[in-house]
Amino acid sequence: MSKQDGIATAAEDSDVDPILRIRDLTVRFEMDRGTSRVLNGVDLDIRRNEIIGIVGESGSGKSMLASALLDAVVAPGITDGEITYHPPTDEPIDVLDLSEEARRQFRWEEISMVFQGALSSFNPTMDIRGHFEETLEAHGYPIGPGIDRAAELLNDLYLDPDRVLESYPHELSGGMKQRALIALALVLEPEVLVMDEPTAALDLLMQRSIVSLLADIRDKHDLTMVFITHDLPLVTKLADRIGVLYAFEFVEVGETEAILRDPAHPYTRALLNATPNLDAPLEEMRPIDGSAPDPVNVPSGCAYHSRCPLATDDCEREQPRMESVTGSHDVACHHWTEVDEIPLTNEVDR
Amino acid sequence: MRRYYFERTAQLVFTVLAVMTLTFFLVRLLPGGPADALRANLIRNNPEMTADQIDRRVEAQLNIMPDDPLHVQYLTYITELLQGDMGQSLSQGAPVTDVIASAAPWTIFTVGTAVAIAFVIGISMGALMAYREGSRFDSGATITSVLLNSVPDYIYGIIFLWILGYQLDIFPTGGRYSSSTEPTINLLTPIQTLAFVGDVLWHAALLISAIVLVAWGGWALGMRGNSVQVLGEDYLRVARLRGLPQRHIAFRYVGRNAVLPMYTSMLITIGFLLGGSIILEQVFSYPGMGYYMIEALERRDYPLMMGVFLVITITVAIGVYVADLTYGLIDPRARVDGGGSS
Repeated sequence: MSKQDGIATAAEDSDVDPILRIRDLTVRFEMDRGTSRVLNGVDLDIRRNEIIGIVGESGSGKSMLASALLDAVVAPGITDGEITYHPPTDEPIDVLDLSEEARRQFRWEEISMVFQGALSSFNPTMDIRGHFEETLEAHGYPIGPGIDRAAELLNDLYLDPDRVLESYPHELSGGMKQRALIALALVLEPEVLVMDEPTAALDLLMQRSIVSLLADIRDKHDLTMVFITHDLPLVTKLADRIGVLYAFEFVEVGETEAILRDPAHPYTRALLNATPNLDAPLEEMRPIDGSAPDPVNVPSGCAYHSRCPLATDDCEREQPRMESVTGSHDVACHHWTEVDEIPLTNEVDR
Repeated sequence: MRRYYFERTAQLVFTVLAVMTLTFFLVRLLPGGPADALRANLIRNNPEMTADQIDRRVEAQLNIMPDDPLHVQYLTYITELLQGDMGQSLSQGAPVTDVIASAAPWTIFTVGTAVAIAFVIGISMGALMAYREGSRFDSGATITSVLLNSVPDYIYGIIFLWILGYQLDIFPTGGRYSSSTEPTINLLTPIQTLAFVGDVLWHAALLISAIVLVAWGGWALGMRGNSVQVLGEDYLRVARLRGLPQRHIAFRYVGRNAVLPMYTSMLITIGFLLGGSIILEQVFSYPGMGYYMIEALERRDYPLMMGVFLVITITVAIGVYVADLTYGLIDPRARVDGGGSS
């Protein structure tokens, strides 16, 4: 993977303080019809206390990235590469090289996760308090102060702690369950919270209110958040930076403002133009032609070339490296300088 | 909430009454007319008796006064049943209540032990099979349990009896305990008590084994299916990520949530306990409920037949009733009065 050099330089140039440094991260599944690479040599630095949004269409490797951050890719998936976690004070930790017990402690104490299937993330025969207690107990945290902290978190999320703690999962609404799950993810005071499509099963209003709650939570608890979604307009309201995944690799990473105003990758532009907007007339909506690549058989060269209006023979032959557009705005495209040929038809507000 | 309990209770009372009514009409309407047959039999054997005496004998045995109008017969029958009088057993020469009272503990002991053992083996095997889904152990155990489960228990009984009882002479071939042993359950004479208990177990061992051999497979397959489902749930993955100990997940998550759906069928099985294993008790000449059921059938002992039938049905009805009332206690989702939301 030659594009590694590009982003590494960019990251080292700026005086960022990464909490997670991801290098050449690959997740593969060996299948009968070949090797399926659902994450292909990904590099990314996640900065301390930032909210980074990871967007991409369905089947672009988003969820695999989330699982890999906790070294929790389900069997028989194989995770290769390097994920280095930099705790605030201690020595860096190589996440993919932890012993079983160390990994058990690392998860939830350092990096915690809110799942896509939030609505079914609770044991149906156990009350919410039981979930908090068993988590505290498993990690050797004192129960009393832990439950107090849980109550405070629930309160911050606009839930009535007493009522929610005594409830069973089926007695809570989807939005309540989602917020209870966020509280459960934060009860051990982790440094990083990974959220994989946390709002997918919720209605629009609930999505927006949870997103605004998350910003408050981040400020109050000095959290770093990784927000994974296919909903670009949603994540722009929250994220400091955005990484765009296409075909299991990052094609563009940059400040949210830069991604919105000055997207440098044709795919990012297409994604923005494809975003439904109530104000824009329907004719201006541009769905992206073609379909997402098969992880067993990714197109040669630039994976996007078959769907890209700017594609030339170069794109078919050679994979583009990550190049710096401005300071911390990186893109992997041979033709990013000509990208203005694709006009932005759709304004996405922050 | 209260309404639910009331409905269930009313349902139980209705079921029991319906069963009583059914037995009444069975006796009245069965081909051959047991009441008439009994009467004819009595007249033949006791030519000196008056018609009135004969009728009274029939009434004593069947709780039916043949010459009364049907509704009066019915009322008398139900009233006597409710007073605990099930009539007189023809074949045993004792009140049906007494026969059942002496047989029931033995059946409860043998079948109860067998169900408990089968349940424990089945649940553990099922959970193990689910944890190793697709392994050779899993497919081997699945085939074995299906095979064992599809042969009736009395076949195993006959095989055991023939090999271990008659050929090898390791186990007794019938009875509740040896005639040489004094039935002793007394803490002051522990040696005799132990000897007696040991002898009872020795007599019941083959019968219990035959039931276990058939029954565990059903529980194992049920448990396997439920556990595989629970193991694939999202909340299980989250529980693992939260770093909960394996043991905790196995018992509190997989075990509990997989056993829950089997709770009702377990209580119904316990309800069927009293019916015993009808043919099996006959094979082992083990005088329990099932043994007397067959005796009654063979000797046209209608009062005993009805009595056993009634007791079995009522126990099953009570088993279902208890399951209905207590399911909410063990599964919060089934609670009629949901804690937070109502």
